[in-house]
Amino acid sequence: MSNFALTIIGRDRPGIVSQVTEILFQLGCNIADSSCSILGGQFAMILIISHPEKSSQEDFEQAFAPLEETNLSVFLRTLKPGGEQRLALEGELCMISVYGSDKPGIVYQVARELGERQVNITDLNTKLIGSPERPVYVMMLEAVLPPTISLEELETAMDELKGTLKVDISVRSISPVEL
Amino acid sequence: MPVRDIRVYPDPILKQICAPVDVGDQGVDELIQDLVDTMVASGHSVGVAAPQIGDPRRVVVVDVSKSKLGRDNNHGLLVMVNPVILESEGRTTMREGCMSVPDYTGNVTRAASVLVQFLDRAGGEMVVNASGFEAVAIQHELDHLDGLLFLDRVSSLKTDVFRRKTY
Repeated sequence: MSNFALTIIGRDRPGIVSQVTEILFQLGCNIADSSCSILGGQFAMILIISHPEKSSQEDFEQAFAPLEETNLSVFLRTLKPGGEQRLALEGELCMISVYGSDKPGIVYQVARELGERQVNITDLNTKLIGSPERPVYVMMLEAVLPPTISLEELETAMDELKGTLKVDISVRSISPVEL
Repeated sequence: MPVRDIRVYPDPILKQICAPVDVGDQGVDELIQDLVDTMVASGHSVGVAAPQIGDPRRVVVVDVSKSKLGRDNNHGLLVMVNPVILESEGRTTMREGCMSVPDYTGNVTRAASVLVQFLDRAGGEMVVNASGFEAVAIQHELDHLDGLLFLDRVSSLKTDVFRRKTY
């Protein structure tokens, strides 16, 4: 079994998912994890797929050609064995909201603070909202804290950043409840 | 009083509507004990519904008193036979997971408080007003009696703030 990460992006319109998955179905591919969303006017698909026999990029090229012809960009990444498996992420899951008037470097400076502390970002969304005259930047991210850092410590770090970046930041625990 | 295995989806019993417990049902006390034992044995579990251990009767146990979220607001161990939600109020969203659906969690919006009527272990009529995490746990477990999993209730894909259209 070979595993691949497939990325497809193109101008949004109805029917993209159907077009892509029909090809995957006819190839005999399995879709494992996937995430698809509209960003700007673009529809972006990221899928982890597998195939029992096909193992080289060339095996897929011809099948994906019709997608390229309809202005979708297709990128296939071959995964090393085990590359399809998610690492166990132990630790508290938290949600961080960052928002404020738009300026360069919001994402980077928040991400740098997290990266330095080995906080693992598992989901990140940003959106530019507000009016063209007064643009507001909103960033929502989910991250797993390593055992070495507490939620309070992260809050302290984010509070400092609030001052230097002049944005609002809040941090809260969203660890799932097991019922 | 055995600890029983938790049934995992796609076990069909999890999608079944459970039958009310009859007044003269002698076996219900044994079922209750198994539910409590299974809940305790599973460590951090705050509730188990009968179908989760393979029994299609309307019985759940809930105990959030040992959990961080429910510690300060709870009724201790609740044994609920034939439970019915009489009233619900408010809305709250939590990221839920379930022992019967491993490796998946989702945001579920439920009532913030519920007034629930049930028979206790001794068969006595009870009415309890629960709020906070206990209310969420009760609603989650009661859903199991109607063949509903939290997957049927997921209200949003992860970060839902961006899902709304600009006005």
